[in-house]
Amino acid sequence: MSKTVKLGSRLRYPITIVKLLKSPGDPIKKQEPVLTYSFKWMREVGDSIRGETWQVEQTTVVTWESPAEGDLTKWLIKEGQYITADTPCLVVKESCPHDIQFQGLCGICGKDMTEVNWAAETQDTERAPISMVHDQTNLRVGAEHAQRVEQELQRRLLQSRKLSLVVDLDQTIIQACIDPTVGEWQRDPTNPNHDAVKDVKSFQLDDGPSALARKCWYYIKMRPGLEGFLKRISEMYELHVYTMGTRAYAQNVARVVDPDRKLFGNRVISRDENGNIYTKSLQRLFPVSTNMVVIIDDRSDVWPRNRPNLIKVSPYEFFKGIGDINSSFLPKRQDLLTAEPKINGVGKREDKKVVFANNDKNDAAARQAIVNGQEDVALTQRQLEDQERQLEKQLKDRPLQHLQEQLDREDEEAEKASVQSEDGSELRSSSPPPHRHRVLQDDDNELEHLERHLRTLHAAFYAEYDALREKHHVDAHIDFAAVPDVGAILDELKSRVLRGFKIVLSGVLPRNVDIYESEIGLQIMSFGAELRPSITSDVTHLVVNVQQPGIEKLMAARRRPHIKIVSQQWLADCFSRWEAVDETPYLFTARLADEVVDHLKDEISDADDEDTENKTPNGKVGRRRPLKLKLIDPTGQATDVEQAIEDEDGLEDEDGLIPDDIEEGQPSPIDGLKTFNWGDADEELNEFLASGSSDEDEDEEDDEDYVPKEDEEDESSSEDSGSHNSGSRSATPSGSPSRKRKLSEEIEEDDENNSTASSITQEAEQQAKRLRRTKSPLPSTLRAEYAAGEKGTTEESVLPTPSGTGDEVDEQQSGAAGSEQKQSEEVDDDDFDEAALEAELEAEFEAELHGIMAEEAAAENHLEGQELEKG
Amino acid sequence: MFFLHNLERRVTLHPSYFGKNMHELVTTKLVKDVEGTCAGDYYVIAIMDTFDISEGRILPGSGLAEFTVGYRAVVWRPFKNEVIDAIVTTVNPHGFFAQAGPLRLFVSTHLIPDEIKYDASATPPQFTNNADIVIEQGTHVRVKIIGLRTEVGEMWAIGTINGDFLGCLQA
Repeated sequence: MSKTVKLGSRLRYPITIVKLLKSPGDPIKKQEPVLTYSFKWMREVGDSIRGETWQVEQTTVVTWESPAEGDLTKWLIKEGQYITADTPCLVVKESCPHDIQFQGLCGICGKDMTEVNWAAETQDTERAPISMVHDQTNLRVGAEHAQRVEQELQRRLLQSRKLSLVVDLDQTIIQACIDPTVGEWQRDPTNPNHDAVKDVKSFQLDDGPSALARKCWYYIKMRPGLEGFLKRISEMYELHVYTMGTRAYAQNVARVVDPDRKLFGNRVISRDENGNIYTKSLQRLFPVSTNMVVIIDDRSDVWPRNRPNLIKVSPYEFFKGIGDINSSFLPKRQDLLTAEPKINGVGKREDKKVVFANNDKNDAAARQAIVNGQEDVALTQRQLEDQERQLEKQLKDRPLQHLQEQLDREDEEAEKASVQSEDGSELRSSSPPPHRHRVLQDDDNELEHLERHLRTLHAAFYAEYDALREKHHVDAHIDFAAVPDVGAILDELKSRVLRGFKIVLSGVLPRNVDIYESEIGLQIMSFGAELRPSITSDVTHLVVNVQQPGIEKLMAARRRPHIKIVSQQWLADCFSRWEAVDETPYLFTARLADEVVDHLKDEISDADDEDTENKTPNGKVGRRRPLKLKLIDPTGQATDVEQAIEDEDGLEDEDGLIPDDIEEGQPSPIDGLKTFNWGDADEELNEFLASGSSDEDEDEEDDEDYVPKEDEEDESSSEDSGSHNSGSRSATPSGSPSRKRKLSEEIEEDDENNSTASSITQEAEQQAKRLRRTKSPLPSTLRAEYAAGEKGTTEESVLPTPSGTGDEVDEQQSGAAGSEQKQSEEVDDDDFDEAALEAELEAEFEAELHGIMAEEAAAENHLEGQELEKG
Repeated sequence: MFFLHNLERRVTLHPSYFGKNMHELVTTKLVKDVEGTCAGDYYVIAIMDTFDISEGRILPGSGLAEFTVGYRAVVWRPFKNEVIDAIVTTVNPHGFFAQAGPLRLFVSTHLIPDEIKYDASATPPQFTNNADIVIEQGTHVRVKIIGLRTEVGEMWAIGTINGDFLGCLQA
């Protein structure tokens, strides 16, 4: 037990060793001078009042006292040595290492360790920092001692071919509740719940947290099959209890579960000894090596440092709505895969809300505390009070009774209804009351799976241990180098379960949660499946929350028949059984209630089916649309796009159209629309509109060459779209107000222009057309360029989400672009705008505009009809 | 070691108790306050009698009467190197805890004879030499105190059973 002693950092380095006062072999005591050294320093001398001072170098010789006690073994420094920094100076053989300490007393020599020693820089109490005994916190040991004890433990376990198993109590192997209703049901054989609560054990705790909870009865329901489970498991594992309950509670439960104290012995640790009410840590019990320790617990978030060793058990919920009476100060569970029980006690909601509001406040703090690994005393106090309140509430409110009453009421109503429907033909009043429903169902089989897993794990561990030992050729009984890490083996076993699966979650987690950090996400990954943020072609499973499935992912998955859409329960069962459970009973087949969504979905899926072959990483949507344009009646196309977007806006889920290839660099479906050629769409729209509106024109000009006609129609179309904009979308937010005003002015001019273009004075019109025709090539190309430029700028300003403005702006701009260039034409056409004609033209245009709009509406209706037929 | 110790204490009495049996009340209150407490480095086990109850003095402000009481009490002061009998409370791989009256003491494995080993597989866990000596919860042991520490109202001790006539007491 030699200890090397350093000089310490408090000396005035550099120093010179003057004399060593002790020689090797001498006994030295604490605070006894063992050497003298000298150091140089500057001293101010002279008359400080008159300011005549100067520095003089001084050399001072001082003694250095030993911080340690024992026999001096050897010096590590020499007389006359010049030392510039802290360095080891001597080795001392201590009589006692002080590495077991009980309440500040050395457990070996009985000395008081709390004595302050001015020669030493560290306190002796720091030599035994580790607390590793189950039922004591004041017994602390040093690192070496801890290692020795743990090796002893491992040796023993290896010899008996066992492992350590740390068992949580609440909701893992038992469920506790203090609702007095349970006791009443137990005494009342006629109660429908009597069978279920018959074997519920109970005990009274004296140290209840408050006056009301004092002397109350705790009712302990053991998980079905627990006795056999523990008995069989204890042949392979040494069992420890690790609970968040109080010491008295833990011991009482241990007594209930294990009356002979054969299973757990005194290996029970509770929150009183844990030193932290938020987290559990294996290091508290196994400070050196957790290679042979397995945990079973229903919560994984309380084991932040020991996840690899944890087998997560699905929580046992026998007393519905009670939860874990000892963990109300823990943050709310985030890992519930099974739907939470809807009924939480009648008439209790409001109170509950208050409590929850309080809890929410503490929730974040508790989470933080878990992260930091330390706790805030005030917060702890507050939460313990909260827990007390909740317990009192349970005592007073009797949630179970309420639940049963509610069930009874429902039964009664159902019965009444049935009696009424049968119309008294079957008089059941004489027969005994029918079987009443009961709140408590005892139908849990988690322990069977758990036992299987533990068996598998045990076998795998010792198989590997034997293999390693073989390889090392060790004849000795025990070789610690050959001890494999059970955490790694567990990981390996688990990761085989869902290997190769690529899973997407939908509606399971809140939106703002990082799926890779979430409890469920970690679970999925620990079982070897890949977690994906969105649907891609290689995804195999979509796990949906049956209550509120995410629309977009569901739609995307429905398009691909190979993706299995399953409920959360499938995932829960996979986790529980450690096997890829057959999906068939879990398939999610319900159609969405929202007709619009269905309609939209079909439409998209049609388009998608066609272009899955020539799918490209990006621009997919952009490609998809034009493709569809060709397929669908061309006249319907433009309106169709608009409609789709409107639908989208109507959806609750704004990104209902988010394509699956998000990670391929496409943030939004609107990006597709950005690349979409709105000019083309406009053209087609206009073509369609023009075909209806100016029939006579077309008739006339049909025989003429195509380009000018199109050009002309282009103009009219831009006018149309312009007028359309001002007419139907005046309420929608457009660009800047000034722009709007400008636009309307343009439209007015367009109006006039339009009237000329389509109206009576054939000759004038012809002339105008001719004029325009001559000018058209230049402006039209200009326009194209202009529009393209516009698009470039708008693309940047368009929001990535379909806020419904991007396309409008585009449209308006193209419209504006068209009219602007037309304006320049109109300057030449001035001679046609004679004042005499003006009034007449105006009236004419009005009529025509109405016609156009009516036709447009008709076309839209037609298109919808078509699509409905298709869907 | 037990002592008969003469002690003095100031006892206050509420005015509502003033009357002819005041001295009786003072004694009762004294017993209630003092018996079973740890006063620094000894425990007050029992009060034998009170031999001097002073005249009461009314405390200004509160109206309570203060009596200075001289009394004789049996006190127990554990000493280093004292040998005492204790009952084992818990056993763990590092040693065992025992209770000697009000005093909690710990005996570590270093201070247990080498042939007595910890056996975790026994229920309950025990220290045993696989022969006649079994130290488990509830066993009576004779322990020598080798270290003592006191804090206000509390005392702890380190004991050893490494020595002649120490250790397990056969009934």
